[in-house]
Amino acid sequence: MGGDLNSARQLAKEFTCSKRAAAAAVLAIVLAIVLASAALAASTTTLLPATTNTTAPSGSDQAAGSEDLTTRCLTCHSQEYLGTVQDDKGTQNLYIDSAAYHDSAHGLLPCNACHTGFSHDPHKMVNNAEFFRQTANEACRNCHDDQFEMYKQSYHGTLSRGGTAAGEKAPICIDCHGTHAIQKVGTLEYKQSISDVCGKCHGGREATFLDTYHGKAITLGRESAATCVDCHGAHSILPVSNPQSTLSEANILPTCQKCHPDASKGFSTFLVHVKPTSTKAPLIVFAVAVFYLLMIIAVFAFGGIHTLLYIYRGLKDGMYFGKGGGH
Amino acid sequence: MSAGTDAKEGMRLVYHRFSPFHRFNHYLVMISFFGLVLTGLPLKFKTSYWSQVLMDAFGGVAAAGFAHRAFAVVNILYFILEGSYMAYFVLGRKGPIFSDDSIVPGLKDWQDMKGMFRWFFGKGPKPLLNRFTYWEKFDYWALFAGTVLIGGSGLMMWFPEATTRVLPGITLNLALVLHSNEAFLATGVIFIFVHFFSAHGRPESFPADEVIFSGYLPVEHYIHERPLEYENRLKAGTLDQVVRPAPSKAKRRMFGWVTGIVTVFAFLVASYTLLLIIWPLFF
Ligand code: HEC
Ligand code: HEC
Ligand code: HEC
Ligand code: HEC
Ligand code: HEC
Ligand code: HEC
Ligand code: HEC
Ligand code: HEM
Repeated sequence: MGGDLNSARQLAKEFTCSKRAAAAAVLAIVLAIVLASAALAASTTTLLPATTNTTAPSGSDQAAGSEDLTTRCLTCHSQEYLGTVQDDKGTQNLYIDSAAYHDSAHGLLPCNACHTGFSHDPHKMVNNAEFFRQTANEACRNCHDDQFEMYKQSYHGTLSRGGTAAGEKAPICIDCHGTHAIQKVGTLEYKQSISDVCGKCHGGREATFLDTYHGKAITLGRESAATCVDCHGAHSILPVSNPQSTLSEANILPTCQKCHPDASKGFSTFLVHVKPTSTKAPLIVFAVAVFYLLMIIAVFAFGGIHTLLYIYRGLKDGMYFGKGGGH
Repeated sequence: MSAGTDAKEGMRLVYHRFSPFHRFNHYLVMISFFGLVLTGLPLKFKTSYWSQVLMDAFGGVAAAGFAHRAFAVVNILYFILEGSYMAYFVLGRKGPIFSDDSIVPGLKDWQDMKGMFRWFFGKGPKPLLNRFTYWEKFDYWALFAGTVLIGGSGLMMWFPEATTRVLPGITLNLALVLHSNEAFLATGVIFIFVHFFSAHGRPESFPADEVIFSGYLPVEHYIHERPLEYENRLKAGTLDQVVRPAPSKAKRRMFGWVTGIVTVFAFLVASYTLLLIIWPLFF
């Protein structure tokens, strides 16, 4: 054996020491490229929203008559300094974002399609929150009767008419759709925004939903994944305990089967809204989640300390670069 | 490489550590793991800018899901092969389970670990390490056991309708929690804390250890890295079972390239994954 050791030593050097500096340099370059492209991409993302905001609308394709009225209303109402007016419940911001209005699903509607009775001449004031709230729904009803009828029967609709404390908080058309920048539904962007629409008032439900496959997939752009309204309905929402609900004992399976044709009763008992690390979660789910949390902390902490100490010793003894091969 | 070493080609000896079977299995694990991490983690870290970039690069969530399943098949293949080998080793070849050579953890590993910590603090010599060190054993078994859990839960999520025909719906909740956390744990263990460090970051292997690709390492290196195995073999006279003439220069160069390419690629995948995970903390 001994006679071969000299050549073996030679070989060992060739395999380890001679390549170290070069390889370390390559790794450094690769890291630099990764970081540089990260910084680049980060700067482009922050720029994007700014550019979309500044695009001016083109009103050329508007119908002449309504365009005329709309333009006149906007002469005043697209002025940001118009400011707010006080009504008996709070303030109304009189500013209308003209670009957003023209880009909205109602971009072609004249202002007085909803604000009936308003003309561009100096107009009478209705500084009354109740007026707005009532007319808000009524205005929509004129053209979207189907949705209005459904909404009226729904839990949100019933609450909003009840005049109770919960009713104040229950959404009317414009709480979910907005007023002067109503978006077309059915696009991916709209579907991705639905969880935020409901999340304004149901934040906890939104968080748990986003942690299921559906939520993750829709966030990353898989259009066929379910959102809140695919399970709960949009205008016909009822508490799960109501037999009419799309998620009641009797209806939940067909609801899942819209997209999971092979689903069985067991499938529909999957828990959509569960936070695994919450004590309210079923015990077994909670136990597994906590076990992993502790395990991850323990393993990473131990591995991290072991690694750092190893590197420390290696540097201290000059094992990395000094004496080649660590010997 | 100097011309002088070439002349002595015939005299070189190397130590053979991994058989072609184990090297092949390592390729399976490596390729499937990279693929699974890249197609899986973006779902877990859905709000990260880099998740979206990666998903778009794969052609969307559905396409990435398909790729995830394809890589999963490769991963399961590794598991079947390694499991069969274990069964063959124990039942067929009647190989020793508790020996100095074995991958099964024993008391010595505990002592080695204490010894290493003493060495870290300069309070003792580096322990004489055996054929498999305690961190290599941890790596091996963590992966094997992890594959059972992650593969099992993954298959349940792959076939959710079939799973819930037999089991209640909460099984899918459990599968998701398990899969998601185990994947995160495995990614950390492999990309940072244990595996990459032992293969690239340790002073003994920095910047890359070729042995898993070529199967051998220079005898000199072997003696220093695995002193106990060397000593045992010297005493038992079994050194010639593992020491062989070095392969040709062309072959050595090829393994050098393979190692280099894999190292750069692995480094890229690991950096990207870390970037993806860390990004949401700051943006
Ligand atoms: C689709 C129906 C609809 C159209 C079209 C519409 N509005 Fe409105 N507008 C509403 C509703 C509903 C409210 C009440 C909002 C509330 O209660 O918060 C409102 C409120 C307002 C207010 C009070 C401040 C505020 O924003 O709450 C102004 C000013 C106004 N609209 C101007 C306009 C102008 C100008 C146009 C045309 C460019 C227009 N609206 C077109 C439905 C509409
Ligand atoms: C000459 C500028 C001007 C024009 C043109 C104009 N408005 Fe106004 N509008 C105002 C001002 C000023 C207020 C706030 C008045 C106040 O609260 O005293 C206002 C208030 C409103 C309000 C809130 C009502 C309230 O009682 O708070 C609505 C709704 C509205 N305008 C709709 C319209 C519509 C629709 C048009 C076009 C048909 C239009 N406005 C055209 C200046 C204008
Ligand atoms: C004068 C009639 C009219 C009124 C009043 C009206 N809308 Fe519309 N709405 C329309 C038209 C027309 C469209 C465009 C439909 C299309 O493009 O297919 C539309 C589209 C929509 C859309 C998008 C639908 C889709 O298929 O993408 C929503 C949401 C919507 N309106 C909500 C409302 C709400 C909320 C109100 C009350 C604040 C309201 N609308 C009042 C006529 C009206
Ligand atoms: C709780 C929130 C919410 C309320 C309240 C609400 N909507 Fe909707 N609406 C939605 C969502 C979400 C969608 C998209 C549904 C989808 O993607 O299938 C939608 C869709 C629509 C559409 C498009 C056609 C359709 O049915 O998909 C119209 C028009 C519409 N809503 C009008 C209204 C009107 C009018 C009201 C008031 C009577 C109203 N909405 C109240 C959330 C709401
Ligand atoms: C403006 C706030 C608001 C928005 C937006 C909103 N909700 Fe609600 N929702 C409520 C209130 C308030 C209740 C009544 C809560 C109660 O009874 O305690 C309610 C009740 C419900 C219920 C009945 C179960 C329960 O918690 O009592 C469901 C289901 C529901 N909402 C789903 C949705 C969905 C899905 C969306 C989005 C499409 C949505 N909500 C948007 C305020 C909102
Ligand atoms: C895959 C179907 C599904 C999706 C998607 C979904 N949910 Fe649910 N949701 C359910 C089921 C099933 C229940 C009843 C079990 C429970 O309370 O967890 C429920 C319960 C609820 C409740 C309580 C209802 C009650 O009567 O107590 C609210 C509020 C709610 N979800 C809101 C949301 C919101 C907001 C979203 C979107 C961010 C959403 N859900 C998405 C299936 C779904
Ligand atoms: C709008 C369509 C839609 C509806 C409704 C829907 N889902 Fe889904 N769901 C999907 C899609 C798409 C996937 C992804 C399936 C895949 O990757 O093969 C999915 C995946 C899942 C998964 C995850 C499977 C995995 O790969 O981990 C579960 C669990 C699930 N759905 C449960 C439900 C339940 C329970 C309901 C009924 C309360 C439901 N879904 C209703 C579209 C839907
Ligand atoms: C070995 C067999 C495996 C199978 C059958 C499998 C299957 C699946 C399936 C079906 C999903 C659901 C998402 C989808 O439908 O696309 C998923 C998610 C995921 N997988 Fe795997 N997988 C396997 C291994 C792995 C491994 C080794 C990793 C990484 C270490 C991994 C990481 C992930 C992650 C991070 C998710 C997302 C979980 C979440 O939503 O939080 N998987 N896997």
